[in-house]
Amino acid sequence: MANKPLSPHIQIYKWHISSLVSISHRITGIINILAITLICFWIALILLGESNYELINFFLQTFIGKFILIGITWSFSFQMLSEIRHLIMDMGYGFELQTTKITGLLVIFGSIILTILIYLFGRGII
Amino acid sequence: MVQISLPKNSEVKKGKYFKDKTGSKNLKKVNVYRWDPSTEENPRIDTYEVDMDNCPSKVLDILNKIKNEIDPTIAYRRSCAHGVCGSCAMNMGGKNGLACTTPHAEIDGDIDIYPLPHLKVKRDLIGDLDGLYKQYQSIEPWLKNNSTKQTTEIYQSKEDRAKLDGAYECIMCACCSTSCPSYWWNGDKYLGPAVLLQAYRWIVDSRDEERKARLKKVADELKLYRCHTILNCTNACPKGLNPAKAIAEIKKMLAMTNL
Repeated sequence: MANKPLSPHIQIYKWHISSLVSISHRITGIINILAITLICFWIALILLGESNYELINFFLQTFIGKFILIGITWSFSFQMLSEIRHLIMDMGYGFELQTTKITGLLVIFGSIILTILIYLFGRGII
Repeated sequence: MVQISLPKNSEVKKGKYFKDKTGSKNLKKVNVYRWDPSTEENPRIDTYEVDMDNCPSKVLDILNKIKNEIDPTIAYRRSCAHGVCGSCAMNMGGKNGLACTTPHAEIDGDIDIYPLPHLKVKRDLIGDLDGLYKQYQSIEPWLKNNSTKQTTEIYQSKEDRAKLDGAYECIMCACCSTSCPSYWWNGDKYLGPAVLLQAYRWIVDSRDEERKARLKKVADELKLYRCHTILNCTNACPKGLNPAKAIAEIKKMLAMTNL
């Protein structure tokens, strides 16, 4: 009888907004740590000379470079909004099912909107 | 430890297919997790074609129908059939709930029925809840009032009584705890939503004198703070309670109490 199987868990459990936001919060957290490290290296390299600056600048103009930059912007936006949601929850508010759905959606769509705004702001469009 | 995949002996295989014999036009495919402890085989999914024209509205009715009319070997817990006893807690359509209060019409397509997630399976849909009951015992879920020698009832104001609303209704069906990823990965140490909701129920009881000791007991990195507000618990609770909020309240009390 020692050989009892373990019942399926994450393989079968249905996702909903709060669990999605929660797992994304973790993933973006890890991305952000890597991103900050990368940004530190970037700044250190710039300090070492102009040619480095041009090289990095060239890389950031490529498709992959832009993808990484926009990705990091989204990741930071998401983490920030989700963290605000967590802070509100730590104060004991926003636990009603309907509210958690709304705040979860606000985080998801808010992060996308914030990314677009930062992009437009960075390009000097707004 | 976080282990995403199932161990070798728990991988689910395809099982038997029970074709409809009634000739009904309104059929639903019901996939049920099966495991027989008398064999060395892995768990399997058996599929039953169930005649929905002659089946009442709840998932438990489907299981009863299968057991009575198609396959008597299927095992599951059930008792009251009115959402009071908490016996028939299981995972239906990817969500935990009580089979007796979950309408099958709410589940689109085939109906998948599994035992409560991340438990040692005793047989078919019956999971082993011993660990959870031990944890429940560890929070000492009874009134501790040693200073008064009173033998009559201890009065409570309406406001104090109201604090227990949303906590005392819990039927310990384990839907919440077994829906919680933190409980899946750290169920040996983390108390889980069901037990923490009960811990909260005794902490806020105005008649209890051990409030501080109770708080101190749950104030632990693993026992309490593994809750990351994923909110699977509140989503799963068949009684509409809010364990996540109770856990947040305990955290808040700990932040404001000088222990």
